[in-house]
Amino acid sequence: MIAIIGLVVGIVVGLIIKPDVPIGLEPYLPIAVVAALDAVFGALRAFLDGLFDDKVFVVSFISNVFIASLIVFLGDKLGVGAQLSTGVVVVLGIRIFANVAAIRRHIFHA
Amino acid sequence: MGLLPYINAHALDEDYAEAARQRAGSGQPPRRRIGRYGAAMLAVFALLTITAAVQTSRDSSSDEQERQALIKQVKDAKTLVDRENNQVISLQTENRRLQQQFLASNSDSLGLLGEVSLLGLRSGLSPATGPGVEVVADDAAGAKSDRNRVLDTDLQKLVNGLWQAGAEAISINGERLTTLSSIRHAGSAITVNYVSLRRPYRILAVGNRQTLPSRFADSTSGQAWLDLQQEVGLRFSMHTESSMNLPGSDVPQLRYVEAGDKKDSTGKGPT
Repeated sequence: MIAIIGLVVGIVVGLIIKPDVPIGLEPYLPIAVVAALDAVFGALRAFLDGLFDDKVFVVSFISNVFIASLIVFLGDKLGVGAQLSTGVVVVLGIRIFANVAAIRRHIFHA
Repeated sequence: MGLLPYINAHALDEDYAEAARQRAGSGQPPRRRIGRYGAAMLAVFALLTITAAVQTSRDSSSDEQERQALIKQVKDAKTLVDRENNQVISLQTENRRLQQQFLASNSDSLGLLGEVSLLGLRSGLSPATGPGVEVVADDAAGAKSDRNRVLDTDLQKLVNGLWQAGAEAISINGERLTTLSSIRHAGSAITVNYVSLRRPYRILAVGNRQTLPSRFADSTSGQAWLDLQQEVGLRFSMHTESSMNLPGSDVPQLRYVEAGDKKDSTGKGPT
């Protein structure tokens, strides 16, 4: 319940204040969102597995977002930003699919 | 283990299992509920996602606005250029008229007026009227390749031959040749004065109609065209006209102009 309240609060706040992203951070926002998505699906799977832990979720969320942005930032500095962000998206995408498959098995037992 | 199977197998952070093991080891009850921090993190996640979405849609709409603004600028600039071109043309016409009026009003400069009109005729700026020949050149019947078509070099030869034969003014499909005209290929069409022409090419040459055809036939260009007719089948016909009207060229594209030195009576120096 509290999770849904958190989500709704985030959405409402985002829609109301429509924060302006600094121009320098703008390229990292999509990658950060994908990394956050991975952390959230991981947490949902852990929750269904009965392994969920608040602290682990917070740490994994922050570190995921931070590391993904850092990799892309480094890639930009080295001139391979596009390739590295593709790599990050592929790896996170595979993880997301694997986690969603596990979640699906939990919910539908299939 | 390959990279992809590894990612698949370790999709879930191992920390969750580790934390659960530690809790079990220390005898604490497993903490399965989503707590305040988890909810706060979810709020951050939602905020992040919404921000990215808002930013993307805002960017795309501002991109579109920029594109429209650029298109508008280009259109405005084009209209401006058109208008100024028209102004240039009308000013030039006015200039020519005033010049003639001025020169005609002064008896001293009547000779100058003749010179100016002769130069205008020769340079292609003023319209030309008079007898001459009409030449029609065309691709070979059923031409399949450039070999059987009239090329820019063929037209250049033809025009040079006509000049050599004593033509005083030449136009191709209504485009008057000036001292600055070019005849060249642009894509698949021949352009004269940067205007694309379509076949057949109708060349009007003002000059002595008794001598023009024979002198042209004697010139190397005339011989070359005879060859072209026989070898690749280009069509060529020439007949005389008692009176033709050739238009003047609009705007001479002046590339380098400097105010003349008034003391320089010899007429030399840059023009």
